[in-house]
Amino acid sequence: MRPGNNLEIYGSLLLGLLLYLLPWAGVGLTFRPDFVLLVLLYWLIRAPYACNVGVAWMMGIVIDLADGSLFGQHALAYIVAAFLALMYQRRVTLFNRLQQAGFVFALLIIAQIVLLIVKLFGGDQPAGWTYFLPSLTGIMLWQLVIYSKIKVSGDENRG
Amino acid sequence: MIRRVTLQQQQPPAFFVRGPSPFARLVFFSALSIVLMAVDSRLHYLNEVRQGFATLLYPLEVVASAPVRIYRHVNSYFVDQKSLAQENQRLTTFAMNQALDLQRLTNTEAENAHLRLLFEARQKLKPSTQLAEILHTGRDPFVHKVEVNIGTQQGVAPGQAVVDGFGVIGQVTRAYPFTSEVTLITDKSLVIPVQIARNGLRAIAFGHGRDSTLYVPYLPTSVDIKEGDKLMTSGIDNTYPEGLTVALVTRIERDPNSPFAHIICTPAAGTDRRRQVLIITGSLITPPSPISKKVSHAPRQ
Repeated sequence: MRPGNNLEIYGSLLLGLLLYLLPWAGVGLTFRPDFVLLVLLYWLIRAPYACNVGVAWMMGIVIDLADGSLFGQHALAYIVAAFLALMYQRRVTLFNRLQQAGFVFALLIIAQIVLLIVKLFGGDQPAGWTYFLPSLTGIMLWQLVIYSKIKVSGDENRG
Repeated sequence: MIRRVTLQQQQPPAFFVRGPSPFARLVFFSALSIVLMAVDSRLHYLNEVRQGFATLLYPLEVVASAPVRIYRHVNSYFVDQKSLAQENQRLTTFAMNQALDLQRLTNTEAENAHLRLLFEARQKLKPSTQLAEILHTGRDPFVHKVEVNIGTQQGVAPGQAVVDGFGVIGQVTRAYPFTSEVTLITDKSLVIPVQIARNGLRAIAFGHGRDSTLYVPYLPTSVDIKEGDKLMTSGIDNTYPEGLTVALVTRIERDPNSPFAHIICTPAAGTDRRRQVLIITGSLITPPSPISKKVSHAPRQ
């Protein structure tokens, strides 16, 4: 059986959404990693046949609804990251720990940059460097994937 | 070893079951996102759709905020002696400061008379208010919004003013069935007509969008305004009742090259200080405008 049935995927996405919906405020908000995108990236690399660009788009729309922000901005950011993850999916499963962490970090940053561009077009003020803190905390959270049994390659011998 | 075998077994089908290529999907969904963004920002067709789906998300939000609610509840039971002593000391200091303020009462009597006039004017309007509790502050650091726990079921409608004990907080911008979204006066999309309490000068304050401040554009450099001046609502917009504190002037820059003074204010009300806010749900009784009913939009920069 392939890893990642629908229950696992959508269950974990729901869990990520719940974490995202926790009443974060103040410092917590600036550090909050993008749980939903992390879960999405994990499944995109682990089970690309079950979790694809469409799922990423749907989760982005849900986040936009929850945020009350402009419809489609998170969706756009997520599908760009999802597309890049799928492009390199076969290679990522062969990456070592450092390469994998770097790859995922780049994807998180790219998603944030897409979001930032949309926001700047919408007339928002440019944010400071703290805007990218969620990507840092996100990649720290990704270490959980690297150093535990839920590896993206589905192979416990490789890193 | 078993895992390795399953990996080899699972690989071949993955080549066949992929459907449209990721690139095709990317193009399709980006087009969809961009269309959605354009429709949402320019045409405002999606408000009903958004309301419907937000109601579906409401149970999830309740579940998500449950741990924090439980934590607060439990925490209030376990107050230790040290924190009580600290609070006692803080309150004693507070009481002493208040005693000092009482002695200064005579000096502020003139101001008080003026305030009483404003208060009476406000009493005449008798706006009905509803107590709301802030569920969470906005999740987007770019937007200055909070979500409160009452909605259209309790009579909240978009456009209603939101205040607390210190002054104006903002305005309801979206009302869902059980929650509503309040845009703070510091948000860059919110404009509020104000009056300087000291001399009655009318002006318009814009949210700055950053640093939780407001700014007052379009006032000449020679304008009679000082740091520490209090800005109050003028009540000429039929939205905010008259005489509520909005902000205090904190910085004035008079640049000789610019025809306008650069005035920065900090809001008097604070959403970080209180969890409860008042929503003014009753309509304000004002005589109809003799010229026209049309609302003219305030000019933006």
